[in-house]
Amino acid sequence: MNNQISRRLRLDRQSFLGPNSDQILDQTRAATIGLGGGGSHINQQLAHLGVGDLLQIDPDIVEDTNLNRLVGATEEDVARGTPKVLAAERLVRGVNPWARVISYRNRWQQHVEDLKLCDVIFGSVDSITEREQLESLARQHLIPYIDIGMDVHEVENGYSIGGQIAVSMPGRPCLRCMGIITDQGLSEEARQYGAGGGRPQVVWPNGLLASAAVGMFVKLITPWEGAVKFPTLLEYDGDAQTLFPSNKLPYLENVRCPHFSELTAIGDPFWESKKH
Amino acid sequence: MKVILKITDDLLRSVLQDLRRRHAFALERVGFLLCRPDALPGGGLAIFAGAFHSVADEDYLDDHTAGAVMGPNAIRKALQVSYNKNASMLHVHIHEHKGKPSFSGIDNLETSLFVPDFWHVQPALPHGAIVLSKDSAFGKCWIPGADRPQEITDFLSIGAPITRL
Repeated sequence: MNNQISRRLRLDRQSFLGPNSDQILDQTRAATIGLGGGGSHINQQLAHLGVGDLLQIDPDIVEDTNLNRLVGATEEDVARGTPKVLAAERLVRGVNPWARVISYRNRWQQHVEDLKLCDVIFGSVDSITEREQLESLARQHLIPYIDIGMDVHEVENGYSIGGQIAVSMPGRPCLRCMGIITDQGLSEEARQYGAGGGRPQVVWPNGLLASAAVGMFVKLITPWEGAVKFPTLLEYDGDAQTLFPSNKLPYLENVRCPHFSELTAIGDPFWESKKH
Repeated sequence: MKVILKITDDLLRSVLQDLRRRHAFALERVGFLLCRPDALPGGGLAIFAGAFHSVADEDYLDDHTAGAVMGPNAIRKALQVSYNKNASMLHVHIHEHKGKPSFSGIDNLETSLFVPDFWHVQPALPHGAIVLSKDSAFGKCWIPGADRPQEITDFLSIGAPITRL
């Protein structure tokens, strides 16, 4: 079977996503920031969907403690110290050899120019500060930002799992409006700056949150008929194994985001001082 | 040169709604998008629309040589908004049909006269003009230092789904 037929057939079962959805997906550029537990699942699904341009950024290498959740990573990667982005790229190319993949093994702040060209940015980062910075960048360039977060808390009788998927759409409520970024959270994080020790993480909530995030991405990109309205904030109760539209949504519908409402929140704030 | 205009679907909807209001004597309405620019890698330009300035009813001239003729106050107020808000200004009007619109002869003439005036108040910023149709758009952008206006190559409405106009 020739390459072009094989390429067309592999997306045949998702043609319900709309006329030309395969071309639309092929022409889409999505960035995944953080290729750990959540980001590796997202990246894998983007490859299966046929997203053509993938930008993946993570500074870390694959370590022993990642193998409980990092999709595509192997024992051999641990032994070799493979960068997470290269493990992710290998997985993508195995599924979709036509994908145009750019991988950077360092901090995303060093690749703002590449990020500007993205249609959607996925954030799968641990820190609230980084979330805030990523969202600001996305807002500056009118790029939808999809954030996933998961946490395992120690409670009286054991551990409790929670999380959320948030879509920060330009012009609509942001992560601060949703209560995901708070001054208290930022202060707390600043107080713990440099503290060692990994946070508890496990594979299935990552996979579940990543799948829902990719579902939202599909609604943003394709003309799928269901893409009229979707909840921009989903919450995950890992103890009850349920994912549900946040009860903040009715309130958020009436919120006019005060955090990114100024014209100065978009474009290059230093444009006037540069030579063009 | 790649020149992208991005606008949220909410803002686009409100612009269309405003421009479709009937006027007492003008046959159509016009307004201005307030924008901020950014350079794209490889030498392109992105223009991000952030707000809309509607031309007030009383600032149209009762002159039927064109669908809408702005009086001196309309231009003066738009210049003031550009100055106060540090905004790139894109003049906007509608051609009510489907498919790719284009500038009429009078659009070409008028825009080439008044768009460069915005450099008197914001000399470093690009300014321009666009025309919207029911499902598409066309526009030109005057970039400081360029010898002629650049066509806007991509119009993106950011919503669910993201739509290319």
